[in-house]
Amino acid sequence: MVGNPGEPELPDEKPVDPVTPPPPSTPRIKSFACTACGAPVAIRYPGATMSVVCDSCHSVIDVTDKNYEILSKYFSKTDTWKPTIPLNTRGKIDGKMWEVIGFMVRSDVASKYYWMEYLLFNPYYGYRFLTEDKGRWIFVTMIKRKPDDLSFSSVRIKTPMKVQMDKRSYRIYNRGISKVEYVLGEFYWRVVVGSEVNSADYIDPPQMLSIEYDDTEKIWSLGKHIDRKEVETAFKLPPRVNNMFFGIGAIEPSAYTADWKKMKLLWASFLGFLTCAAIFFSGTAKNTLASDYTGNFVPNTKVNDITIPKFILEKNSANVQISLYAPVSNSWFYLSGEMVNNTTGASYPFEMTSEYYFGTDSDGAWSEGNATHQLELSSVPGGEYYLNIDTESGDFKNTNQQQFSLQVRRNVPSWYNYWWFVFLVSISPIYSWIMMRRDEVARWSNSDFNPYVSDS
Amino acid sequence: MLTLSCPSCGANVDFKSKASLFAVCSFCKSSLVRHDMDLEKIGTISDLIDDMTPIQIGTTGTFSNDKFEVIGRLKVGYADGYWNEWFAMLGDGRVAWLAEAQGFYAFCYPFFDVAPPTKASLSVGKTVDFGKKGIYEVDDIRDCKCVYSEGELPFNAQQGRASTSVDLAGFEDEMATIEYAASETRVFLGAYQDFDAFQFKNLRHIDGW
Repeated sequence: MVGNPGEPELPDEKPVDPVTPPPPSTPRIKSFACTACGAPVAIRYPGATMSVVCDSCHSVIDVTDKNYEILSKYFSKTDTWKPTIPLNTRGKIDGKMWEVIGFMVRSDVASKYYWMEYLLFNPYYGYRFLTEDKGRWIFVTMIKRKPDDLSFSSVRIKTPMKVQMDKRSYRIYNRGISKVEYVLGEFYWRVVVGSEVNSADYIDPPQMLSIEYDDTEKIWSLGKHIDRKEVETAFKLPPRVNNMFFGIGAIEPSAYTADWKKMKLLWASFLGFLTCAAIFFSGTAKNTLASDYTGNFVPNTKVNDITIPKFILEKNSANVQISLYAPVSNSWFYLSGEMVNNTTGASYPFEMTSEYYFGTDSDGAWSEGNATHQLELSSVPGGEYYLNIDTESGDFKNTNQQQFSLQVRRNVPSWYNYWWFVFLVSISPIYSWIMMRRDEVARWSNSDFNPYVSDS
Repeated sequence: MLTLSCPSCGANVDFKSKASLFAVCSFCKSSLVRHDMDLEKIGTISDLIDDMTPIQIGTTGTFSNDKFEVIGRLKVGYADGYWNEWFAMLGDGRVAWLAEAQGFYAFCYPFFDVAPPTKASLSVGKTVDFGKKGIYEVDDIRDCKCVYSEGELPFNAQQGRASTSVDLAGFEDEMATIEYAASETRVFLGAYQDFDAFQFKNLRHIDGW
C-alpha cells in the first residue's frame, strides 16, 4: 500500500479544548519543507489533500507519506501556465462558496488540444471542477448515478453514442485520452503529471455528461455551462483585455437555438391557422364570371382603344381575376389596358402577355411560356365597370386573323394573400433557424462525431 | 442509555444504542469492548491529526423520514485516501450508517434479507441481486484499515482492523456496501443524498469556513 494511510498517525497536536474562544476564520495551514528543493510548501486542507505541488520547484509531493515522497519532479519548468483564477481565491457559484485549491492543464492526446481545470473545494460540499476552454467555462459536479445507455446496442460498451439522464438525452461529442500536462496547488488524489485516462463527453447544451474510465472504475460527472461574466464576478477577476472568443463552446447556449425552440411551435400553429382560414375563404368564394370577351387580332399589328362592354362587379369589395388566352405558337400577344369604374372613374391599369415558344436543340425538346395569362386585382369595390385595352402581337409564320379571349371573374378563390402572410410570418423563424444551424455547425465542428458532416 | 465507567480512568462512557459493543473513552482514548455491563480495555486510540470532516459525534440529520443522531465513527484508510463511516442511531432505536467521502454522503441500513455473495465471486462491473431491493452493480473493491475510531460502535473497531469494502450502485442514487471483515460479512443498503437534504445540525466547525 502506497503511503500506508492504514497505519496510525502519530499525535503531534493536543486535542482541541472545547472551551477555546472563537474559532479561527482562516484555514489552519500546515507547512513543511519541499523534499526536492527545501522551499516551504503549504497545505491548506490537510486531511482532505493527498498531494501538493511545490510552488518553487513544481515537484508533486505525496502528503500522505510521512517522508513526503516525491510523486513527480521538476516537471515542465520551461512550460508555465498561469491560472485565470488565482489559487486560494474564493467565489460563490449557485449560492455556495468555493475555494480554488488546485489547477491542472490537460490535453487530448490525439489532437494535442489543451484546456484548463480548476479544483474547487468546500469542506461541507466536497469538490467541484471549473473547466476553462478558450473563454468558455463549465461548472462540473461528479455524480454517483450512471446515465442510461440510449444507443440500443446489444453489446454493453463504456462509451455508447447516446446516453440519457433525468429525461435529457446527450449525444457523444468527443472521445479520447486526456493527459495531465501541468499542475499547481493541492489535490484530493495523487496527481501525476503525464498520467492519462480514457474520457468521453456527451452534450445537450447547456449541459454535458462526461466519463473518465479505466479497467477498474468509471467516473461520471455533470457539467453545466457557466457564463464567463459570472465566473469573473464570483472570483472578482479583473476584466479581460481580450474579450474576443470566436465560434461557440461545446455546451454554450446559442440565443438562436433558444429563439427557435420558443418560436417553432407558435410558428407551426400560426401556419396551420392561416392555412385553415385560406381554405375556408377559397371554399366560400363565389367565382362569378362578370365579363367574357372575345376579340380578333392580326399578328404583327397593333390595335388601340378597344372598349369592352360594361359589366357589374358584385359585393362591396372582393378580388377580380383577369384571364387572357391567345392561340400563340412560337409567337406572342401583348395586351395593356385599364379597368375603369363607370361611376367613380377609378382606374385599375394592367398589362398581360401571352407567349409560347418550343423547339428542339442538342438537349432535346424544349418549350417555354404559356398561352394563358392570369392576373389578380385585390380589394376592388363593387359597381359598374368597363375595360379599355390595346393589343399588340408578333408571329413570323402565321399572319392570319386570330381570336383572343379576355375573361373577368369576380370573387375568385385566391392564395395570393395567403402566400404573403406565410412569407411574413416565416421571416423571423426561418432567420432563427438559419442562425441556429450556423451555431450548431460551429459547435460540432470541434467534434469527431459531427452530425453535419456525412461519413464518406 | 447505559452509562458505564472507563476501567482505565474512571470517566463515564455512554452507550446510547443497545447495538453498541465497542466504545472509545472520550477522556483517555482507551478503546473498550463491552461484555454486557463490563468494559474491557483492549488498547488506546491515537489522536487524529489532519481531519477535514464537517460531521462529528452529536451531529443530527434527516434521511427520508428518519431522523438520526451520529453516535460513533470509524475512519478507514485505503491506498488512495480515507472515508468516514458514522454510526447513527434513529429515534426508534434502529441503527444505520452515514458514509462520508470527499463531499459525498450516503445513508444506509443493515440488510439481512439476502445472503451476501462471497468476496471471491465479485469484481468491478459484476451484479448482485438483492431480491426485492433490486440488482446492484459493483463499482469498486477496496482493501482498507481502520485508522481511527471514536464514540460507540457495534463491533470491535480497534485501529488497524482490516476489511474489504465493496461499493455497489443501484437504480439512480441507490447504493449498497458489502463489508468483508475477518469474522463477519455485513451488507448495507441505502442511497446517496445531497448535503443540504440531510438538514444537518450540530456540525463541526471548520477553520476558515
